[in-house]
Amino acid sequence: MRTTGTRSLILFILVLGFFTGLGVFLYGLVTEGGSWAVQPFNGHLYGSGTSAAEGRVLDRNDTVLAQTKDGKRVYNSDPATRRAMLHAVGDTRGYLSAGVQYNYRSELTGYNFITGLFSPTGKTNGSDIRLTLDSSLCRLAREKLNGRHGAAAVYNYKTGELLCMVSTPDFDPQNPPKDLDTDKTGKYSGAYLNKILSSSFTPGSIFKVVTSAAAIENIPDLDSRTWNCNGSVTVNGNKITDMYAYGRLSFKNALAKSSNVAFAQIAIEVGADKMQAEANQMGFNRTFLLDGIPSGKSVYSVKSAKPNELGWSGVGQYTDLANPYHMLVLMGAVANGGTPVTPYMIKSVTPSIGVPSEQGSAKTGSQLVRPDTASRLKDYMRYNVSHEYGDSLFPGLAVCAKTGTAEVGGGKNPTCWMVGFSSNDSTPLAFVTLVEDSSTGSVASAGRIASALMTAAAKIS
Amino acid sequence: MDLSSLSSDFISVLLFAFRIAVPILCAVVACRCFTSMRLGKRREEPVVVLEDMATHKVIPVLYWENSLGRSRSCDVVLQDPTASRAHAVLMRRESGWLITDTNSKAGTFVNGKKVKEKAPVLPGDVIAMGSTALMLKRTSEVAALPPQPPTRRAAPPSGLMATVMLTQILLGLQLCLASGKISAAPLVPLGILMLVEWALYLYSIKILHHVSFELETIAFLLCGIGLAMQAGTNLKNTYTQLAAIVIGVLFFRFMIWFLGDMDRVMRWRVKIGILAVLLFAANLLLARERNGARNWIVLGPVTVQPSEFIKIAFIIVGTSTLDRLQTYKNLTGFIGFSAICMGALFFMRDFGSACIFFVTFLIIAFMRSGSVRTISLACAVAGFGAFLILKIKPYVAQRFDVWRHVWEHPGDAGYQQVRVLSYAASGGLFGVGLGKGCLKSVFASTSDLAFGMLCEEMGLVLAVTVILILAFLALYARSDATRSRSTLYSISACAAGGLLLFQACLNVFGATDVLPMTGVTLPFVSLGGSSMVAVWGLLAFIKASDERTYAARRRRR
Repeated sequence: MRTTGTRSLILFILVLGFFTGLGVFLYGLVTEGGSWAVQPFNGHLYGSGTSAAEGRVLDRNDTVLAQTKDGKRVYNSDPATRRAMLHAVGDTRGYLSAGVQYNYRSELTGYNFITGLFSPTGKTNGSDIRLTLDSSLCRLAREKLNGRHGAAAVYNYKTGELLCMVSTPDFDPQNPPKDLDTDKTGKYSGAYLNKILSSSFTPGSIFKVVTSAAAIENIPDLDSRTWNCNGSVTVNGNKITDMYAYGRLSFKNALAKSSNVAFAQIAIEVGADKMQAEANQMGFNRTFLLDGIPSGKSVYSVKSAKPNELGWSGVGQYTDLANPYHMLVLMGAVANGGTPVTPYMIKSVTPSIGVPSEQGSAKTGSQLVRPDTASRLKDYMRYNVSHEYGDSLFPGLAVCAKTGTAEVGGGKNPTCWMVGFSSNDSTPLAFVTLVEDSSTGSVASAGRIASALMTAAAKIS
Repeated sequence: MDLSSLSSDFISVLLFAFRIAVPILCAVVACRCFTSMRLGKRREEPVVVLEDMATHKVIPVLYWENSLGRSRSCDVVLQDPTASRAHAVLMRRESGWLITDTNSKAGTFVNGKKVKEKAPVLPGDVIAMGSTALMLKRTSEVAALPPQPPTRRAAPPSGLMATVMLTQILLGLQLCLASGKISAAPLVPLGILMLVEWALYLYSIKILHHVSFELETIAFLLCGIGLAMQAGTNLKNTYTQLAAIVIGVLFFRFMIWFLGDMDRVMRWRVKIGILAVLLFAANLLLARERNGARNWIVLGPVTVQPSEFIKIAFIIVGTSTLDRLQTYKNLTGFIGFSAICMGALFFMRDFGSACIFFVTFLIIAFMRSGSVRTISLACAVAGFGAFLILKIKPYVAQRFDVWRHVWEHPGDAGYQQVRVLSYAASGGLFGVGLGKGCLKSVFASTSDLAFGMLCEEMGLVLAVTVILILAFLALYARSDATRSRSTLYSISACAAGGLLLFQACLNVFGATDVLPMTGVTLPFVSLGGSSMVAVWGLLAFIKASDERTYAARRRRR
């Protein structure tokens, strides 16, 4: 009998297993209950006669972008606004994982661990979320992208307010197209992605901003040096080419003309280690946050690059990738003396009862550029606009900028970029615009969008 | 009556308060029941003593069944090289003390007469084994031992039953007010359940003069919660469930009676085993596939799931009294029977039940043999079998593909699990209210997904309380193992407790994606006729292992 009693201890293994399982479940519930609860299929949120309803999403001018009416999520009445704001606001099914509705679903639904989605008083617990974005500016950006795939963003580099964030292709969150997931023609390819935050593209010549910073810091007689740019240069048997033969160019003009020949040689002269260090310092190979939503990474890695590859990396080709949100922050840093003000888009979260919380404010990020380097970059980039792209693009805004035309291969046209900022104290705006598969040059594509956005944005702030 | 005259806010807050009160009351009932069971347990004190005739050393006899022999694992260790390792078993039965020789070499003698099978032993009789002679004595005859203190009485169970009724009234009120209008319909099944409860209570305590009612109290508590959940989902199902509970209670009483006579159980064992195999055969021949498993037989208006009843047969076949354990150490017969059961379940594609049978098999096999080797071998064979099945029948593997990846399949293979998780979180600690959940529209919500339903409608606190009660039931069965009247009861109680807990684990963790989804019921709570009757039958094993269950009968004499 005693032996039987001892052997019955085998049940403890089962009990131990039970408590382990219970622990796993409860741990999941505590840490992820919010995202478990806030699912698009959850009848308490979107069904009829439910106990909780979601709060509203508003833009900076209190335009309602999304709200819940009679148990249904209803978006802005204007289809163009709905589509322009899609990637910032998000969709109902939660497929846009970088959207506010997905990342702030706990706040919107008022989920908490104690009462779940239930509200004992029967009133909604959901908070309203007010964004810093301007829906009309976003609509303008979408209009200017004009059906092309691309992205655009504008932010105030003094206050940190994100004014515009648009990504195309998009779709109408109110009436998602039937062929959204089945389409094979590519018209919706990347529609679920917020290209500003989540994607990374070959930077092309906008990377020359980084190479320039490395040159400023490592080549003492930079402004007195010249480069012979006669169309191409051969580095260990591999030809690095320019669009034209520019002749002998000073550094300033090499940047304005965007000479690959000059910048490839500069990158090689600076060397892989220092190029890598400069890129890392400027925010490559790491993630930036927008209200806690992580961005994709920009990539620069020349650890195992041959000299010709190092040359190509210096002009933004090779394996280089740039994340548009990172580029925006980098422009903010250069404009702001080397240290950026971190962008944010959540202006306030207002609960149904009580005072607004989580008021967004200007928060300084970590330094990306040395102050003296930033100041010299600013001058060179100003010269780009005044002497090369034309101030007529940005009348009265004293814009400093750099364009890029990145070769992507695969039979596609280049990705055209423009990154920059207004150096006026009254219009502290930084921008990034990009157009994929562009049949026109970077000024004509990305430049035009930037021009329209900056002119309109200057009237907001 | 329309409630618009009353403030709906007030009703909402009141119902929320009820939902906080119910788990607290449940926890109180469960705690009091388990404390009471612990207090009611006999202390480990000698029942009688054996006096060594040569040394006059007094050996206390602690259990109802005691193994005697040279082996150190025996309850009475004989320091005698001429005695066998497991020489004999001294047992207390209704008729008095008996001794059985368990195939010893030298034989066992009572007062000089050789024991064939069993022989009664009276105080003053001398038992001779090898060169040892022991005299059976009453404890009062030995001065060295202190007199037994009076057995502590358990707390009066009527108060606990009243608390159970109170929780059921609170659940009923929630149901009445759930729709926004006062409706008395849900009170009817709960009222009938209360009648059944008190009927069994009065029958057990007043007519049979039983002293304990804790296990029944706990079972009724869980049944009430389950019934309320059904009432909030589909009132029609409530009556099916209620009928199952009534049949279950009757079956429970029958099982208590049946288990009362160990000889009867041992006599019927083989017949029950054969019956179980035939039932499986009938199932395989008659059953039509339903929801991917062929485990249902339609008998006129009722559908029966034979595997539920075979669980009980399985435990009866597996368990044994100590004298038989010592005599027939071979597990082959039981292993063969288990293999047939599990094979049949695999053919029925009822993998959840197959797992439950396997775990029950492990518990019984280990408690009978104590052999880690047997257990390892069984696990290895089962693992190999499972591997083969996954290779040969890839659709089985599909069930496991989605495990821990349910969020990637919210529309197909992970449909049920993601909804359980989502709605469980939506309920918070105290739920959204009976009948107000959304999970109820998902397939098998009140059976396979019962835990999710509890979480959503009644809250996490109550849901966790329910499964903790099932865990404590298993622990109680274990702690009572040496106090039973026979190893027959200890083994069957541990097997039943383990089975109930493991089944609860599969249900809860399957639905919440901690384990792969198998589709078994949550004991006492889930909707299911056969399964409800069977869990009451399983509870009878635990009840029978409590020596107080059959104590009243002696008192009546």
